Amino acid sequence: MNHLVQAIDSVQLAQLAFPSEMPATVLAPYLFVSAAMFAIGLIGFLTRKNMIIMFLCTELMFQAAGLALIAFGRHHLQADGQTFVIFVLCVAAAEAAMALALVVLLFRHRESLSASAWKELNG
Amino acid sequence: MEQIISPIALYLICGLGAIGVAFALPRRGHSGSKIPLHIVGGLVLAMAFGFAALVLGLKATDGGNPLPNYFFYPFAAIGIGASVRMITHKRPVYSALYFILTIIASCGMYLLLSAEFMAFALVIIYAGAILITYLFVIMLATQAPVGDDDEDLNDVDAVAREPVLASAIGFVLVALITVSMFRGIGDLPHSQLSSAQASDGVLAVLPKKIDKVLDRAGLLEEGWFVSRDSETGHAIIDVDARTIQIELVDGEDTQGLPIVLASRTLGPDQWPEELSAQNLDRLGYNLLNDHPMMIEVAGIILLMAMLGATVLARKHIELEEALKAAQARKLGTMFDTDESNSVRSQA
Repeated sequence: MNHLVQAIDSVQLAQLAFPSEMPATVLAPYLFVSAAMFAIGLIGFLTRKNMIIMFLCTELMFQAAGLALIAFGRHHLQADGQTFVIFVLCVAAAEAAMALALVVLLFRHRESLSASAWKELNG
Repeated sequence: MEQIISPIALYLICGLGAIGVAFALPRRGHSGSKIPLHIVGGLVLAMAFGFAALVLGLKATDGGNPLPNYFFYPFAAIGIGASVRMITHKRPVYSALYFILTIIASCGMYLLLSAEFMAFALVIIYAGAILITYLFVIMLATQAPVGDDDEDLNDVDAVAREPVLASAIGFVLVALITVSMFRGIGDLPHSQLSSAQASDGVLAVLPKKIDKVLDRAGLLEEGWFVSRDSETGHAIIDVDARTIQIELVDGEDTQGLPIVLASRTLGPDQWPEELSAQNLDRLGYNLLNDHPMMIEVAGIILLMAMLGATVLARKHIELEEALKAAQARKLGTMFDTDESNSVRSQA
């Protein structure tokens, strides 16, 4: 119980830009989560046949990259990581708009969301 | 520095994770067995995650190394669990909703990494805007299943392509990345900046903010301001020693420089409690001062995406005759059943 109270105390929101240094052993679990999320997104992209889900999986990979960027930025006490995440967000928004327009176009052609409906595109 | 987790344990975790995901991916024809395969997959995955947390925790406390905040573990569990559910759920709408859960969990982790602005921006932009677009397209462009059972779903959603191979590839990737990463993580260079400089170093370029805070704290009398460097305009402030230089200013001379009548230094005991740079100050300064080109590039990317999406969506599709006929038949049968249903309910 005491530990929990300490944990709650140690979370200070919007107090300082960087309250203290973050050691590498704290950084490592964040990077592990980021790598796992990236791999899950990759697996989803490889296995699912629905084109919308495939693009959703690329968004998951963007997320994982963003988490790693912010964790490294926190480790090095730099704001550049967060700046790059803004850029990642921007690319993700552009990608979502383009990809979804493309998916709707492809769906109207074949009446199917399956990626294998476009088999003849392989090269 | 010694390894904080042994590679064998990492390989084991990744193997368990791969088996869990491979079982959890959608497939047909397991309705005969008593326990659905995806629940087995989820259990194996939960085991893998618990094992990872355990090994990490034990190994890190063993050497007296600090651990992440307690709040990290639930956020990580929710994030990974929801992302697995996202790629394994058979219905696209639920997949999108689970992705929102993943985003909220990673926002929690951003908060723990003291990136408050990005956390809330992520909720607004991702969960609020991008995912709504996805949901809209899913509902617009999905063939509606005939019934509510999983058996009625299309093959597109209900069957995964090569689940075993893909999970093996994915988790071999994680194993390689994490093992090489954990081996070198002790040798990462530490930050060049002190904690105080990293937090409050940006205050020097925000002299008006310092003026405001000092004024509110009652430390500035009429006509007194923080001393500015005559060339750069930065405030003269030492964040490590916690001293601020202030000066009495009376108008400007012919070259626009302030006429200083007197100046003195505020010591560390007078440093106001609320005088600190926040995440937003630092992020905004970093974005506009260090990466101004990025804003231009982002603007061009967004403009091009808007143009591209408009051009793509405007394109007129010529369906083949056979496809048109099939669509008309489908619509016809749909209306027929609606009518017969309504007739039946009236009767």
